[in-house]
Amino acid sequence: MEILSHLDFSTALNELTPELWQGLLIALEATVGGFVLAVILSVLLAVGRLSKYKFLRGILVVLLEIVRGTPLLVQLVYMFYVVPLLVSLIVQFFIPNYQFQLNPLLAGILGLGINYGCYLSEVVRAAILSIDKGQTEAALALGYTRRQALWSIVIPQATRQAIPVFGNYLIMMIKDTSLLAFITVNELLLRTQAYASQTFLTIESYTILAIAYLILSLPLSQIVRLLEKRSSKHA
Amino acid sequence: MPKPMIEVTQLRKSFGVHEILKGIDLTIRQGEIVVIIGPSGSGKSTLLRCLNCLELPTSGRVKVEGEKFADESGKYNEKRVARLRTEIGMVFQSFNLFPMMTSIQNVMAAQIKIRKKTAEAAKTNAEKYLKKVGLAERMNHYPSQLSGGQKQRVAIARALAMEPNIMLFDEATSALDPELVGEVLKVIRELADEGMTMVLVTHEMRFAEEIGDRIIFMDKGVIVEEGEPSELFNHPKHERTKRFINQVLHPESEKTLI
Repeated sequence: MEILSHLDFSTALNELTPELWQGLLIALEATVGGFVLAVILSVLLAVGRLSKYKFLRGILVVLLEIVRGTPLLVQLVYMFYVVPLLVSLIVQFFIPNYQFQLNPLLAGILGLGINYGCYLSEVVRAAILSIDKGQTEAALALGYTRRQALWSIVIPQATRQAIPVFGNYLIMMIKDTSLLAFITVNELLLRTQAYASQTFLTIESYTILAIAYLILSLPLSQIVRLLEKRSSKHA
Repeated sequence: MPKPMIEVTQLRKSFGVHEILKGIDLTIRQGEIVVIIGPSGSGKSTLLRCLNCLELPTSGRVKVEGEKFADESGKYNEKRVARLRTEIGMVFQSFNLFPMMTSIQNVMAAQIKIRKKTAEAAKTNAEKYLKKVGLAERMNHYPSQLSGGQKQRVAIARALAMEPNIMLFDEATSALDPELVGEVLKVIRELADEGMTMVLVTHEMRFAEEIGDRIIFMDKGVIVEEGEPSELFNHPKHERTKRFINQVLHPESEKTLI
């Protein structure tokens, strides 16, 4: 009970909030960058996996299994620490003493984007397959080539169908930006950790952090619900 | 004699081990209205889909206005097939309108994408054809807001807006409620009066008799009999044709025949 009487939320709130605002901006940057990358990748991966070229399909399945079979945290660490080393090693064959470095936030965006791109590609692929064959046939009969039919008739419908699911993944990604703390991105979690270890206001700091994430994700959940309702129209 | 629009020679089509079309020869001339009838599974829809290459023939060939779908070496080049398809409009049983576009956008899309028309020209043209099918009031409705008959009329307008020389109708009224069939048949009848070359697969025998210049009766992948409507419906030569026409025109007497 003694601990409770020592809780000092007002100090923590006053001192931590400005820090969290800064961290929030970085988390948002990572989310926006990561998600845009993920969406683009997901469509390309989905189309690639439906391609007639067996070799391409094979490569993409391997990539997908690697990404799905390893933890996101490991991928982020790999992207930040290992990928720059590998790039440096390769480029050093041509340019001696070349050192490649990846800014932590950029590494985080790439890691999140690739990871989510793979998961989203399964959503997009299922959506593409769910579009009635008659849609493609109608386009073909009008003189579209297969590729034109896919990109201008099928994919717009498939992505529209996938939007609510995309929304859920977006909320997950916001929360997963906390993992970027492990590759030195100064986002919400890293700032909170620093503050908590300086002041020993552990309960207060992490409680405030949790609430901050909730404030972020709850309105988004509402938006996703709205989108779900809207996308069932004209489908 | 008017020039041939579609020439089919020795067309065969198999799906796996099932041979659906067993050597079809057919010429459709300019301005002609050919109606294909036959029991389900007779291959009539497959034949129609071969006419615009939605199904690739297993062997034999299809020529459109003298040009083959396959090139000299027998290969199907996608661009060439797509170009030939713009000469052939197709209307499907299940409409296949693009659900994310309004009626007018449905009619405009291919004009802009394929015919490379400006949005403005496409729009004027789309309005013309939507008016023609009697849907001037429904231009900005989405397919989900239209009745089956209206959807099918938008689909007809969409095909017509490409200004094809031939129209194919694949059981265009089969998915419609009975009271909506009339409005679609009316549009098709108007096209017939304007001299459009048409090939129809239909179960509407009265309509086939009224509109067709030539009726083709198919069964089990072959053309059993063809002729003028009055001839074929009133004096069918083949036993199979007789039985089929009896069944569809007098379904109540079906039992006595079997």
